[in-house]
Amino acid sequence: MLTKLPSDLFGGALYILQKYGPLFWAGTKTTLLIALSGTIIGLFIGLGVGILRSLPESTMDNKFKTFLIRLVKLVSGIYVEVFRGTPMIVQAMFLFYALRPVFHWTKLVAGIFVVSVNTGAYMAEIVRAGIQSLDKGQNEAARSIGMNNFQTMRHVVLPQAIRNAFPAIGNEFVVNIKDTSVLNVIGVTELYFQTTSVAGITYRVQDTFLVSAIIYLILTYSTTMILKIIERKMNMPVQNGPSSTSTAFLVFGNKREER
Amino acid sequence: MNIIEIEHLSKRFDKLEVLKDISLTIQEGEVVSLIGASGSGKSTLLRCVNLLEVYDQGTIRFEGQDIRENIKGINAYRTHVGMIFQSFNLFNHMSVLENCTIGQTQVLKRPKDEAVKLALSFLTKVGMESFADAPVTKLSGGQKQRVAIARALCMEPRVLLFDEPTSALDPEMVGEVLQVIRSLADEGRTMIIVTHEMDFAKEVSDRVVFMDQGVIVEEGDPALLFTSPTVQRTKDFLSRYLR
Repeated sequence: MLTKLPSDLFGGALYILQKYGPLFWAGTKTTLLIALSGTIIGLFIGLGVGILRSLPESTMDNKFKTFLIRLVKLVSGIYVEVFRGTPMIVQAMFLFYALRPVFHWTKLVAGIFVVSVNTGAYMAEIVRAGIQSLDKGQNEAARSIGMNNFQTMRHVVLPQAIRNAFPAIGNEFVVNIKDTSVLNVIGVTELYFQTTSVAGITYRVQDTFLVSAIIYLILTYSTTMILKIIERKMNMPVQNGPSSTSTAFLVFGNKREER
Repeated sequence: MNIIEIEHLSKRFDKLEVLKDISLTIQEGEVVSLIGASGSGKSTLLRCVNLLEVYDQGTIRFEGQDIRENIKGINAYRTHVGMIFQSFNLFNHMSVLENCTIGQTQVLKRPKDEAVKLALSFLTKVGMESFADAPVTKLSGGQKQRVAIARALCMEPRVLLFDEPTSALDPEMVGEVLQVIRSLADEGRTMIIVTHEMDFAKEVSDRVVFMDQGVIVEEGDPALLFTSPTVQRTKDFLSRYLR
């Protein structure tokens, strides 16, 4: 163990990692916790909203039902546009302070909430695109054997839509690992927040952030690899719609690689 | 006995009138072929019968009951009219057997073992029982269409609707599918077949209906209609198809 902070970049980084390892570790755990739970909750929000946004409007329905469907579509459309159209850093500040009197929440819970609703908006579009990428014959075949809307969605449309959308869904998780860093503005002690703390102690910004960058890279790269393995496992041939990474990314081209 | 009665049916897609005052009656056990050029409205008419298309005017009655009268009953009604599509539309994420059981267990609420038993018996009928566990994406077009027919049969429908069942097939696979349809006709099933296979229509049908530009131009016994059509439009159409 070195006792004095070396003056070169890599030596400095190694020293900082050894000395402040527990702080980085704590930040990493928080980052992963928020990214993972935010992605999972976001996926469920996205499934709900994405399905609502793909509801068929039948001319055989009565006026009230048609009105209700349109209203639901309007509201969910506003949700998606607002959360995709504003930066998460702004959403974090606004929601944390605006809803604090209501929920009396901790910063961590607020952080998970922000990432979840933000991811939900993107997931909704991913799910919707996944549903729309399916051949409409799948829907017609399900209806022709007497399935109702719910059964068609549950047994025919969603299983295929989710499989087709899996690469884009996994990408959301990778993006979230990086993007949780914006939660430092509300004081969530994730990896970026911890890094700035360490940099404040050592006065060695570049060395400290090199450590941070490497940790982020390890997290995202290993996640990407794991997702690829899962994808390959579930990628039994699907005839209609995109089944592999490349096409799915084309279809979901409005995705944020960077934000 | 009349099983399906279509009366004064009209439908338009925006400005285009695809069905104009169509009336047609199908009797139990009858095999009726709808022929005509692309865009003549025959597929649309077929799709109206199981309400995949919404029609604007007129009525369709199934066993004397207006099929649109009870909206809640649409799904139950659809189990009585099996549909076979041009592009098969098998559920791609399921095996052959699952394609044939999902409707039985989910819609008809049959017990699983009963559903499997019936599915296997219909798969045997179409010669696909040895593929029961295969994913449908591995099948050839002809095999897919035979599975699609088995899937429809599993709901034990009163009427079968075929929407150009061989149009998406490679020529060497047409025969195996027509053979299956022929055997169903021989069982005395009620069927409406939209097809471009004139020889097949002539051989298998009890009645042939020729449609053009959204109207029924001529209908009758296949032997008569194909050999001595009375309307000029029918003659023109048939001369292009029968050589």
